[in-house]
Amino acid sequence: MSISTPGGPQRRPTVVSTGKKPAAGRPAAGASKPGAAKSTGTPRQTSGGKGPRKPITPVKVSQGRSWGPIALFVAVGVLAVSIIGYGAYAAFQGSKSWEQRAADIDGIVDFREKDPKLVQGGQHQQGAIKYDVLPPVAGPHNPAWQNCMGDVYDAPIANEHAVHSLEHGTVWITYRPDLPADQVSKLRSKVQGVEKAMLSPFEGLDKPISLQAWGYQLKVDNADDSRIDEFIKTLRVNASVEGPNANCGQGITATGTAPRDNLPQQQQQPTQ
Amino acid sequence: MTAPATTDTPPVEPPVTPAGDRRPAGRYGVLALAAAVVVGLLLGYAGGLLTPTLTRPGDSSPEAGFARDMSTHHAQAVEMGLIAFDRGTDPEVRQIGGDIATGQQGEIGTMQTWLRSWGLDPTGSEPRMAWMPDGARVENGLMPGMATPEEMAKLRVAQGRELDVLFLQMMIKHHLGGIHMIQGILDAGSDDDVRKVAQIMKNTQQTDLTNLQNALKRLGG
Repeated sequence: MSISTPGGPQRRPTVVSTGKKPAAGRPAAGASKPGAAKSTGTPRQTSGGKGPRKPITPVKVSQGRSWGPIALFVAVGVLAVSIIGYGAYAAFQGSKSWEQRAADIDGIVDFREKDPKLVQGGQHQQGAIKYDVLPPVAGPHNPAWQNCMGDVYDAPIANEHAVHSLEHGTVWITYRPDLPADQVSKLRSKVQGVEKAMLSPFEGLDKPISLQAWGYQLKVDNADDSRIDEFIKTLRVNASVEGPNANCGQGITATGTAPRDNLPQQQQQPTQ
Repeated sequence: MTAPATTDTPPVEPPVTPAGDRRPAGRYGVLALAAAVVVGLLLGYAGGLLTPTLTRPGDSSPEAGFARDMSTHHAQAVEMGLIAFDRGTDPEVRQIGGDIATGQQGEIGTMQTWLRSWGLDPTGSEPRMAWMPDGARVENGLMPGMATPEEMAKLRVAQGRELDVLFLQMMIKHHLGGIHMIQGILDAGSDDDVRKVAQIMKNTQQTDLTNLQNALKRLGG
C-alpha cells in the first residue's frame, strides 16, 4: 500500500483529469492516506529522477487516461454479454418442452406425429377393441381404466383398460414373459409406489421390454437401459391427455386380457 | 502494482493540446455515457429476467421433492378415501372419506401447478424422500404411512363395518406419515408459498386425525 502512496494528494489532479470516469479507484487509495503520502516525501522526483522528463510525461498520461475507461467498458461489456448470454442459454434450455425432450430420447416412436388421428381419440367403447400397434399406445378404450397406482400385475391385462390408463398420464411398462426374474424385479422397483405407473407382462413382444405412454412407445432390450428412467421422467403425467388430476385409483385391479364390461361396479372385485 | 505507472505522472494538469483534442474527448464521453446507460439497462433487464429463474426451486430442491412425493402420498389417500366414500357403511366414515379424497386431490393440483410453474417434471431424478432433512426410509417404493399393495387389496374386498374400521386404521397411519413429511418441508423449505400451503395441510391432517381416532373409538376398532 505504501507503494501507491507516493502519488499522494499531488497526484490527484492527474487522476481526476482522467476523464468522466472518476471511479477508477486510484484517487480513493491516494486520498485515504494523505499523512503517509507526505511522510514519504516528494513523489515524482524520487522515482522519476531527473527534471527534464517532466514535459514528456503529459503525453503518456493522456494516453493512459483513455485506457482506464476502455478497460472498464470492456470488463462491463464482457460481464453484460456473458450474463445475457447465460440468461438466453438458460431460458432456452429451461423452455425445452417435454415434447422436445421426448423427441430426444433415442429410439422413441412418436405416434402423435406419426398418426395424429389415433392419438386424438379418447372415445369409450365396450367390448374387445382391435389395436394396430401392440402394445397399444392410444385410441378408443374401455370406460373403465386399469388401476395405475404403481400396480404391479403378474399376468397380462386387458389392452382396453390399459389404454384408458395411458390417457390418464400413466407410463405402462410391459415385458416379455420370458424376461429373467432379476430384470423383472428391476422394473418392479421403478413402478411400485408410483401413481401413474404400472407394470405387466405382455405376450408376443418383439423386444424384451416395451414402454408405453399416450402416443409414445420405446422398446429396449434390458432393464438397466437408462432410457427407461428418461422415458418415465419425461412422459409420466406429462403425456396425460387429461392433466395431472386424472385419477388412477378406482380402476380395474384384475388381470386377464378380456375387458370387463357390463358388470355392476360392486362386482368388479379384484381376482388377483 | 500501480506504483510504476503512477510515479512518473506529473502533478500538473497535463498540457494536453488545447481545444482540438478536447472536443473529441467530450464527444467520446457522451458516447461512453450512452453506452454505459445502455449496458446498464441491458444488465438490469437480464437480471430481472433471470432472477425468477434462478430463485425458483430447482430440480433437487426440498420444495420440488415435497411437491412430487406428497403428490404420490396424497394420491393413495384419494384412492383410499374414494373406497370409503363409495362403499363405507358408517355415515361419518363415508363423509370423511369423501372429504379427504376431494381435499387431497385439490392439493395435488396445487403441487402439480407449482412444479409446472417451476419448469419441472412431475417425476424427479432423485430417490424418493431424498429431500427430507432426516432422510426418511422408503420401503418398496412406499413412503411413511403408505399402505402396501396387500393392504390396499384387503381394503378393496372388505365389506361393512370391517371396511369402515380398516379404512380408519389405514388412514390414521397414512396421516401420521403425511404429517411427518409435511414437517420435513416446514423444516427444510424456504419458499413462503410452499410453507404456507404445507402448514394448512398439516393443520387439516391433524384435525382429521382427531376425528378419525374418535370415529375408530366409536366403532370399537
